[in-house]
Amino acid sequence: MTESAKIKNLLKKQIVILDGAMGTELQKKGMSGGACPELWCLENPQHIKELYEAYQNAGSRIVYTCTFGANRFKLKQYQASQDVYKVNFELAELARKTVGKNILVAGDIGPTGLFVEPFGPLAFEEAVDAFKEQARGLIDGGCDLIVIETMIDIQEARAALLAVKELADIFTVVSMTYEKDGHTLGGTSPQSAVITLQSLGADAVGCNCSAGPEQMIDMVSAMKPYATVPLLAKPNAGMPLLKDGKTVFEMNAKNFAAFSVKLAAAGANFLGGCCGTTPEHIRALKKSVERKKPVLPRIPSICALSSARDFLEIRENEPLYLIGERINPTGKKALQQELMDGKLSIIRQMAQEQKAQGASLLDVNIGQPGIDEVQTIKKVIGLLSTAVSLPLVIDSSRVETIEAALRLYPGRMMINSISGEKEKLVKLLPLAAKYGAMFILLPLTGGNLPRTAKKRQAIIESIFRKAQKFGFTKDDFVVDGLTMAIASDAGAARETLATIHWCKQVFRCKSVLGLSNVSFGLPGRPWMNAAFLAMAQYCGLTLAIANPASAEFMNIKKAGDALTAREKASFLFINHFSQQTAPALATADAAVKPEEKIAAAIMEGDGERITTWIDEAMRSGLSASRLVDDFMIPAIVRVGDLYDKKIYFLPQLMAAADVMKKALAYLDPHLKKTTTTNKGKVILATVRGDIHDIGKNIVALLLKNYGYCVIDLGKDVSDEVIIDTAQKENPDVIGLSALMTTTMVNMKDIIHLARAKGIKTDFLVGGAVVTDAYAKSIGASFARDGVQAVKVVENLMKKK
Amino acid sequence: MENLVFLEKISIDPPREKICQRLGYKKSTTELSIKQKKATDHFINEASDLISLQGMFLRLAITQNDSDRVLLSNNLTFASRKLAAFLRDCREAVLMGATAGNAIMAAIQEKTHLDELSAAVIYDATASEMVDAGLDWIMSYLNRQLRRENKALLPRRFSAGYADFQLENQKDIYEKLQMEKFGVLINPSFILLPEKSVTAIGGIY
Repeated sequence: MTESAKIKNLLKKQIVILDGAMGTELQKKGMSGGACPELWCLENPQHIKELYEAYQNAGSRIVYTCTFGANRFKLKQYQASQDVYKVNFELAELARKTVGKNILVAGDIGPTGLFVEPFGPLAFEEAVDAFKEQARGLIDGGCDLIVIETMIDIQEARAALLAVKELADIFTVVSMTYEKDGHTLGGTSPQSAVITLQSLGADAVGCNCSAGPEQMIDMVSAMKPYATVPLLAKPNAGMPLLKDGKTVFEMNAKNFAAFSVKLAAAGANFLGGCCGTTPEHIRALKKSVERKKPVLPRIPSICALSSARDFLEIRENEPLYLIGERINPTGKKALQQELMDGKLSIIRQMAQEQKAQGASLLDVNIGQPGIDEVQTIKKVIGLLSTAVSLPLVIDSSRVETIEAALRLYPGRMMINSISGEKEKLVKLLPLAAKYGAMFILLPLTGGNLPRTAKKRQAIIESIFRKAQKFGFTKDDFVVDGLTMAIASDAGAARETLATIHWCKQVFRCKSVLGLSNVSFGLPGRPWMNAAFLAMAQYCGLTLAIANPASAEFMNIKKAGDALTAREKASFLFINHFSQQTAPALATADAAVKPEEKIAAAIMEGDGERITTWIDEAMRSGLSASRLVDDFMIPAIVRVGDLYDKKIYFLPQLMAAADVMKKALAYLDPHLKKTTTTNKGKVILATVRGDIHDIGKNIVALLLKNYGYCVIDLGKDVSDEVIIDTAQKENPDVIGLSALMTTTMVNMKDIIHLARAKGIKTDFLVGGAVVTDAYAKSIGASFARDGVQAVKVVENLMKKK
Repeated sequence: MENLVFLEKISIDPPREKICQRLGYKKSTTELSIKQKKATDHFINEASDLISLQGMFLRLAITQNDSDRVLLSNNLTFASRKLAAFLRDCREAVLMGATAGNAIMAAIQEKTHLDELSAAVIYDATASEMVDAGLDWIMSYLNRQLRRENKALLPRRFSAGYADFQLENQKDIYEKLQMEKFGVLINPSFILLPEKSVTAIGGIY
């Protein structure tokens, strides 16, 4: 029996006890805070030996080597980067020789301290190479297993795991560190991490350090339903506290053990301690769980995909999952040109739009002549890994493109697709297995298109048998039912639907369709596609590849989900359509006069139909000036009052102002014919050296809405431009804004210069650092915000 | 110790509560319809899609603290009583910076130009809060590393422009952090460009 098999066997019988903290214990033995623990242990082997013996006596079945930071990047800080292999080998050997035969030695790999591509500057392959260098020393030194721990970057965890798996078939655990919000600092949830890492070959997954054991129960509980492998928990002795300039952990052994029982019940199969724990903690832990039966993984396999920040479990009888199809240059000239130019902004936009429109996954196809597909897909994967949280489906006819994507993507991907063609099977099945990818099974073989459902079923079964040899289950793929055009074969849709039905009812796997092919060559394609979708949903279709911007598709999908009872009480359907009809219902009340609707629209900041109501109001005989004076100005004044009272917040004030401006612009020609409400002229500027102008822009909009003529000079405006404009325009008020202390002083210069030039105009100043006292000291009025600025201007005008 | 660390992509969710508070939202007072709430969420999401949060930090030894000025390794001197008091118990300081990037600033300008200030103010607040959250993230990241050294960061940070720590000092911090690597510039008024860029000093003890 291999060591890996022995560990797996052990985990079926008992909760395996790990060791406790190393760093804090070594510090107790005299290691200084700034020392390199690895080098210190080699120089002082008796201390680490004593610690191993203490943990062994306390009940640890596994002890970690003192190699947490023994990678080239960390050792470089101690001028020892050339000794990576030696340090790891010697420390592994030291551990192996110290502990008894029954104690397993785990080679400990910690983070490099650098973020890995696409999240940081460390190239993915360099990270893999660095971890291989470390792992080689650990394995040669006699480690029984490898533990990759305290990872905050899922991509770094992947790099380390791939490094180990590419070196040797050795039991490997990957343990992440989570923040209080339940995510790693990189934003990965425990569920995403377990899906990504177990699919990539981790033999166990878990969490260490993070918060105390209490918070870790939630993390283990979150992982367990998605875990096909055992889980590890190695919490700190409570939350770290700062006392007298030192970090301390105060949870005693008894309390620690009590939480450990709950961790075991939640599903942790390996238990140990991290920062602040001692042999006493481990002894208490061992005693508390030694008679407990381990909670084994609840599922043997899972149909799920993940990204660095999110995950999707694909389940039966759920609303149809949508794979957004738009990231594909076929027929899209702008995208083709972008790819040729090495730009990706359209792809970013397409990804974000499809997510907003309801896609669950994104299909990514960059196949185009004249580009380096491998380099391009790496850039695209880098972009999409950070720009969007949806998991990806890599869609390419080229094996090297798929491999580049699988290797770099910080999650679990789906391959679109693997057919029964021999070349595809031979190359793609091992790749999918190595990177733990799901795939779309395409029932094609021998260069022929199987016309009947029966033939397709035979091919599906044949491909599945071959995939099983690589460890795949029916949860690891979805079957493409093959959509063909009914224009060339009247029975094509029937055979596709029969295939979907067979997948659901007989073969019991999930299915996917690209829909639009069915209507190729026919008129009324959207309706044909929609009808086909509804039928496929009834037959049990799980996923569809489509454009989520298509209203027909989304409407039919929602209806189909409700009719096939894939959602409870048609809630999603009702919500979908009530959103579409709400504006019509809201405006259906004919009893409300149009001028009242105009006032309400300003109050609510909803300008969608304001011009219609203005037309109605004017047709009913109201003049433009009456509309402004009797309805619009009172409404905007009321909004200002509500803002002052904090009943409205800034976006509501601005939305009302936007609507007011839209209405005034629409009424402008009519106002000129009657009486134009021009209450005065105001020059506004953000002063020299300052670029923060959002506040000034708010004041400008509000003043315009109150009937003032505003000359907005913009930001970083020179003193001379302000003075020249004042001399030319003869304004009633000059408003100046500044955000910083270094630019605020320029206000004083401008006022001095104005007075020296004989300009007697009132000045109004504002901005984050400006105070009433400062304003007075330079002879200006002060306003703390836009609404107050309007009031101050009104008061200044009254005094004229 | 004196390694400048660049963080090319900081992935965080927009801190919605703080963004709304920045915009004047008061939990017990402000009345927001479902439609207005959706619109606010929508603009926050749009803004966060446009923000490319990047950051960097540099640990420096404190070589002298005279209670009215602080001397750091790398020939850096900051004259400020308040900063000296802040770093009183520290043997090291950390300079840190973060930027939201240029795309969000272009979008704020565009929305302002189109007179869609309701969107512009939410974009602006989202960028301000996210860049601040970027510094929080850097502090959390650094704290994780420091724990292994039995050290910790002071829970707060100090920025140029506060109290007697003059904004002019931002130039030295900017240069030490090599913020130009991420396209950040500094103008003669010591203001960082793009506007949503920040620097700060933390204390390690």
